Amino acid sequence: MITRRRRKLVGVLLRTLVGSMTVISVMALVCIVVVMVTKGGAMLTWEFLSQPSRAFGAEGGIRSQIAGTLILAMGAGLLSLPIALGTALYQSEYLTPQLKSVAMRFVYALNGVPTILFGLFGYLVFGLYLGFGISWVSGALILAMMILPTLVVSIREAIDAIPHQYREAGLALGMSTAQLIRAVIVPQSVHGIITGLLLGLVRATGETAAIVFTATTFSGVDFPRSLDEPVTTLQTHILLLSQEAVHPSATDAVWGAALMLMILVLCFSMGALMVRSRFRVEV
Amino acid sequence: MGHSSDTAFVLKDVSLFFGSVPILTDVNFAIRSTGITSIIGPSGSGKSTLLRTLNRLNDHHPTFRCTGSVRYRGTDIYANGNGSVDVARLRQDIGMLFQKPCLFPTSIYENVLFGLKRLKLRPRSEFPGIVETTLRAVFLWDEVKDRMKHPANELSQGQQQRLSLARALACEPEVLLLDEPTASLDPKSTQAIESLIRELGNRLTVILVTHRLEQAKRLSETVIFLSDGCVCEWGGVDDIFTCPSKEITQQYLAGHPP
Ligand SMILES: Nc1ncnc2c1ncn2[C@@H]1O[C@H](COP(=O)(O)OP(=O)(O)O)[C@@H](O)[C@H]1O
Ligand SMILES: [Mg+2]
Repeated sequence: MITRRRRKLVGVLLRTLVGSMTVISVMALVCIVVVMVTKGGAMLTWEFLSQPSRAFGAEGGIRSQIAGTLILAMGAGLLSLPIALGTALYQSEYLTPQLKSVAMRFVYALNGVPTILFGLFGYLVFGLYLGFGISWVSGALILAMMILPTLVVSIREAIDAIPHQYREAGLALGMSTAQLIRAVIVPQSVHGIITGLLLGLVRATGETAAIVFTATTFSGVDFPRSLDEPVTTLQTHILLLSQEAVHPSATDAVWGAALMLMILVLCFSMGALMVRSRFRVEV
Repeated sequence: MGHSSDTAFVLKDVSLFFGSVPILTDVNFAIRSTGITSIIGPSGSGKSTLLRTLNRLNDHHPTFRCTGSVRYRGTDIYANGNGSVDVARLRQDIGMLFQKPCLFPTSIYENVLFGLKRLKLRPRSEFPGIVETTLRAVFLWDEVKDRMKHPANELSQGQQQRLSLARALACEPEVLLLDEPTASLDPKSTQAIESLIRELGNRLTVILVTHRLEQAKRLSETVIFLSDGCVCEWGGVDDIFTCPSKEITQQYLAGHPP
């Protein structure tokens, strides 16, 4: 009797503990959103979003920063996508099972590399050696490398989830590996490709350390007109303003930029979530 | 090894393994290039494995191994080195139907052409005609002619299986491998598929795996009986069903009265 009551008590305690952990993690997100919206909500006017910044961010808007963030993230996504797709297809369709898991371990290891190291490496290779300098191209290349594992993992998951009957039906019709990839594997993993791309955009949009000394400048640029021009981004704008601003209107601009950054990131991750759940139901 | 034009497959001392586990050993038989051959035997006796050996569909199981010689029209399809066959080319000649119909998530029309489109056997202008001919051949044309653009998965199981057959026939195969093609179908669809199989047997090599003894008896001229990891009996349908030479065959046939 005692042990049973004790077991029950332990069960209740454990459940409460685990439950409160869940509440804490949900609250963390809720708190961030609430603070961003209350502090920055008033800033999000059309003027603020559509004008370039003036007086080192204390006046004007964040048009160039939004553009810069999107240019870097989208550029990274476009560069990363074909490489990730090729990597995932090569792993799943051509490698033996042993090599598959070795290759996957490399992908995970790449995912664990601190982003500042991507920045350093990219600065040396793309910036100095290839001569792109501090430019949006260097930044996009660095971010493309950084988000590669996210895309590869997502695409691999989708490929691995293709029912083996589809493969066999395609092979039995006399398809070569290349034909199978085109007719069956890629169409059946489109959702994983899109999800991976969106999750990659989430990471690239939020990244600061790797681009702050390789791709961005604080102010004085709007849209890049050539390959070797830097951009300015929301992330670095927030970083630098919050370090240096003494002007109260600069503080408001920080919160406005922060809220805008959060909205962009949430859009991409919501998109990923929707694509993922939509296809779960269908398959 | 000699090859006469009326044999499709010749298997000599063939053994099949998954890893180190032998599934079938010392398989020897020949299959004529027209007519229907049934492979029967208890479940797990290796019927599917043997069937899938004939179009090398076991290849993508990394542990699968095949020893001995499997010849299709005189060519050893498992030979390595110089004489090795083009597996995709081989499978173009060998159509296959699975237990469960497996259509692609696209339209009825596109499903019929799914294999043919990639083989470039025919110009695109002939595609609509080919779709109609093959769908008529599987008695599906009247049921689907007004909804060719509809998704294929809205069809019933029986219709889906007939569509799978149309998809295979569109590639103009010389051999049809059928792995329990009626196991998931209702009696009416089963009858439709059976009469199709009978008709196809007149011009193609048809190899039918079935667990329904009546079906094997109704449709085939030759029967291969698998049991205990080997070909227990191989012969004419009447011989095997009326006077089986082995006791184990007798027991199996008695346990499943035809
Ligand atoms: N991919 C595989 N790996 C290992 N063993 C397998 C595999 N496929 C089938 N087998 C084994 O081979 C034997 C024969 O299977 P199968 O050919 O499917 O039998 P049947 O079609 O006669 O029911 C079974 O014992 C099964 O467990
Ligand atoms: Mg089977």
